[in-house]
Amino acid sequence: MSRLPEHPGERIDRQKVIRFSFDGKTVEGFEGDTVGSALYAAGRRTFSRSFKYHRRRGLMCCSGQCPNCIVAVDGAPGARACTEPLREGMRVEHLNARPGLEFDAMRATDLVGGPFTPPGFYYKTFIRPRRLWPLYEKVLRHAAGLGRLPRQQPERMWRTEYRRRHADVLVVGGGVAGLEAARAASRLGADVVLAEEGPELGGRRLVDEAGEGIAALAQDLRAGGVEVLTRASALGYFDGIVPVWQGDTLHQVRARRHVFATGGIEQPLLFAGNDLPGVMLSDGARRLASLYSVKPGSRAVVVTTSDRGLHAALALHEVGVEIAAVADLRQLSGAPAQDLGERGIRVLPRHTVVEARGGKAVAQAVLAPVGGEEADERPLDCDLLVVSGGSAPATSLLLQAGARTAYDAARGGFALSELPDGVQAAGEVAGAGEPDSVAPSGELAGLEAAHAVGLGDERSGARVPELREALAVARAGRPAVAVPPPASGARRGKCFACLCEDVTSKDIAYSVKEGYDSIELCKRYTTVTMGPCQGRMCQLPSIALMAQETSQSLADVGTTTARPPWRSVPMGVLAGRPIDPAKRSAIHGRHRDLGANVKWAGDWRRPYDYGDPQAEALAVHHGAGLIDVSTLGKLLVRGAEAGAFLDRVYPNRFSDLRPRRIRYGVVSSDAGRILDDGTICRLDQETFYVTTTSSGAGAIEEWFSWWLADSDLEVRLTDLTQGVGAVNLAGPRAREIISAVTDVDCSNEAFPYLDARQGRLAGVRCLILRIGFVGEVGYEIHFPAAYGEHVWDALLEAGRPYGIRPFGLEPQRILRLQKLHVLVGQDTDSESTPFGAAMPWIVKLDKDGDFIGRSALEHYARETPATSLVGFTMSDGHVPSEGAVVVDERGTPAGQVTSSRYSPVLGRVIGMAWVPSALARDGVSITISDEGQKLTAELRTRPFYDPDGEVLRS
Amino acid sequence: MSLEFLTLDAPAVARSPMERQARAAGARFEVRDGWNVAVDYGAPEREREICRTAAGWADVSHLAKLELQGDHGLAGVTRRGGAWWCPVSDRRALVLGARGSMPGPDETEPEARVHVVEVTSNFAALTLIGPLAREVVARFCALDLRPQATPVGSLRPGSVARQPGMVLREGEHRFMLLFGWAIGEYMWTVVQDAATHLGGGPVGQSALEGADA
Repeated sequence: MSRLPEHPGERIDRQKVIRFSFDGKTVEGFEGDTVGSALYAAGRRTFSRSFKYHRRRGLMCCSGQCPNCIVAVDGAPGARACTEPLREGMRVEHLNARPGLEFDAMRATDLVGGPFTPPGFYYKTFIRPRRLWPLYEKVLRHAAGLGRLPRQQPERMWRTEYRRRHADVLVVGGGVAGLEAARAASRLGADVVLAEEGPELGGRRLVDEAGEGIAALAQDLRAGGVEVLTRASALGYFDGIVPVWQGDTLHQVRARRHVFATGGIEQPLLFAGNDLPGVMLSDGARRLASLYSVKPGSRAVVVTTSDRGLHAALALHEVGVEIAAVADLRQLSGAPAQDLGERGIRVLPRHTVVEARGGKAVAQAVLAPVGGEEADERPLDCDLLVVSGGSAPATSLLLQAGARTAYDAARGGFALSELPDGVQAAGEVAGAGEPDSVAPSGELAGLEAAHAVGLGDERSGARVPELREALAVARAGRPAVAVPPPASGARRGKCFACLCEDVTSKDIAYSVKEGYDSIELCKRYTTVTMGPCQGRMCQLPSIALMAQETSQSLADVGTTTARPPWRSVPMGVLAGRPIDPAKRSAIHGRHRDLGANVKWAGDWRRPYDYGDPQAEALAVHHGAGLIDVSTLGKLLVRGAEAGAFLDRVYPNRFSDLRPRRIRYGVVSSDAGRILDDGTICRLDQETFYVTTTSSGAGAIEEWFSWWLADSDLEVRLTDLTQGVGAVNLAGPRAREIISAVTDVDCSNEAFPYLDARQGRLAGVRCLILRIGFVGEVGYEIHFPAAYGEHVWDALLEAGRPYGIRPFGLEPQRILRLQKLHVLVGQDTDSESTPFGAAMPWIVKLDKDGDFIGRSALEHYARETPATSLVGFTMSDGHVPSEGAVVVDERGTPAGQVTSSRYSPVLGRVIGMAWVPSALARDGVSITISDEGQKLTAELRTRPFYDPDGEVLRS
Repeated sequence: MSLEFLTLDAPAVARSPMERQARAAGARFEVRDGWNVAVDYGAPEREREICRTAAGWADVSHLAKLELQGDHGLAGVTRRGGAWWCPVSDRRALVLGARGSMPGPDETEPEARVHVVEVTSNFAALTLIGPLAREVVARFCALDLRPQATPVGSLRPGSVARQPGMVLREGEHRFMLLFGWAIGEYMWTVVQDAATHLGGGPVGQSALEGADA
């Protein structure tokens, strides 16, 4: 055990022991530990194996930034051990190592395979023979990767859901700057949400002062109504919407203003062996000691480019870690160097580390003066190598929001240079990370955000210039930092620029030699910055390497494009709840009771059949059938000029339609193409009831609304699609059945074909349309949806003596095909015109006034269409596929089959197809090419069943 | 011949599109004003407790709904005689309420400027009630329902569970969701999924009436 004595500020409760397993072995920690701190305290140094070379990796940042400690928790891969809270009984397992973490057979890739595995090696090496690629891919995927998901799982592994949260101000980052921003905005009355990705608030204050004073500040915020989210990572910025992932919830935060106080990310240094377990960032080592009372090592070497490393050396010395030496890249160290000297700790100016040596972990660090000779090197034994390569502002979210950065030579990184509207930055990300500037920076951002949403007063307004002045003074006194060399000691061994993807400094050089000499190309070629850390650790080092290899400045190299997600996130979190929107008719429950085979039809769930589509089709011919057609679009068009409006949106005429009469209509686009079809019933002088296809309902409602919006016609439109149920009763016994349950006189004389009546059916007020899509005597009955089951039951009951059967979509398609009734969308496409679809009679070019598509239709009327829609029968009983190709005598595609079915009443296969117009005559033989087969069909231009419509009208 | 067929005055029982889900959840029904209404789910006291402490949802599809077309003259949502009068646009408004609270022809067609269409079964409806009601709605709806954006007596048209819908804020902790009749089953599933996870449950008319009292 490497636990330190109890000290104030530690987060663990030593009285509460937590037991969990790591790779099957029981380990103990304390409540408040993370998985990482507990395992480290128990002596574990290797936490994972790297992506490509399977090298040992250990704790490095201890803040969830780097990829070194990614493990699977209770079967779910992707958890970072250093931030995953310890829970009793949790099952933790390593990833990407076989047979085990301590002995990984794939380590051979690193030991002997390095020269053979440059960037893109798999594309170059394994592409031949091409047929073996699937095998290679399988092997490569097996060898690499960051864990596996179960192949089969009955449900999602855990519940995830969305939560929408509106706010005046969203503050991202729970360090001092973020907290001050939230407090300032909240005090002015803003509704504030604060999201912190770590387990607790405090940011760097947690490292420097174990979070001193943070708890009180947080309490103050909560009391003021600020919603504080911890373990909540902002994933991106999407036009003002910031998704914040917190456990099983994805908060979609829509704020009027955003304050990003995302801090800075401590950068590693590049040197040979910089990935060995025991190489740790200075903040990581301090977190282990201060928060979890874990001694990170016995003897440490510290290498730094700023005072940050010096503070770390002091802090580690304080808890009993022997400091072998401190290498400071700067010539003149900051004030903490004097404190170190007083404690007898050597500070080597202008020195850095060139190599970390060791097997399972660091055993020796080699320090050398910058630009010095080998003879000047100092190998120092140690079990901990603390590095601090400066800090890169965490600008990714700001960049996604539209901010810009520019290279800051003095700090060796890319700093914010421009902010977009609606966004504030505070704290280290805004260049105000020092203790005397971080709080004023936060307060200023909070005030400005609140002012921007109309809050604040004179006093708060006066505070703004005061804070700006204080910040200017603080910035002037920032301590110096040194810019580290891109890599040191690269000839001694691998220097990793990207720990996630195992990209070395040599790989970047190789990429440039291969011609990928811009940072964006290099990113795609080497996959640098594309791993789980999302560039947090590797963007700056890879830019520095690219600058070195291309002899450019870092400013010229620039940065890669910041893209979401800023943190790796399980796909399930993005997916939300697995509930698909579905429309169901008011009779849907009855269909289920009857054992219907329910399928998707557009956005509706509909019965395709009730077990035997052929028998259902025959029942319609021999007795009666009942189909639920509630899915039809139903629009009420009312007003003094309703008829004129319909004349304008349909190519045929409706203003002359008599009340209680029905007419078929085809809606055409302004290009004369068929959009939809349906029936139009005139209820009274000013009221038309328009039906559309099921799939076209929404589009036609929008189409009508669109034209009405730009019209001065006195017309009102009401969409009744969902509120009105409808069934179609059809068959030779339909009249007897409906007469048994309605007070409407349904005799042919009183209620002829294409007439409409209103009356009661089984007590329910209904609109009854005498139409016949399926070719038999038919009544389409419309009624309030709330009575759907009642009407359905009444008709089935009345029809029982007549052999009535419910029928679904599939038999309906057989029946309508027999009549050559066009199914818009099935038999037509975006190029189909009424002339090609054998409906020239629907276009009334002689009607007064303009109508949509008139010009185009006039043009089509003068020309013979290239292809025409006709019926066909098959001579050999084969049912051609819908979509099969009609070919001419040379075998060239000349048309297409749109519908085909076996008709039980006709005893043969029938269909519809687009064929060259020259062939569109009765009796012409055509050839259909269907999946390699050549089939012969004979054309028909008239309906197969009841061609003269005598049955329909009877 | 006009719009008699939209009138709900049959001797038959009218049913909500969510009746089967309510039945599966243990609803006890009573026929009220011709509608099968879920009165309670077997534990009225517990349902009232849910309304006080978490979030209850109740199927209120039976409420009468009229669409006013034309110059309705409503400046904002108003409550008249127990019904909500909700302008949706300058030329369109909805009136929602119990059957007895609905306006007569004299009230809806002053000077014949307004035309009325019966749309009761166009819109199914769920009432969400309780301190967590807004949290429940936030699980599937992006409308801003904070009091400063949607005060009591506001109607917000928009996307509700990825479908066209409307939210009427009836009280501090009470929201009515209006949506298409055909998506009733889907909407019940969505609300049930979200509310149950937050400790809510289905409640009957008795609980709603208790809350009103």
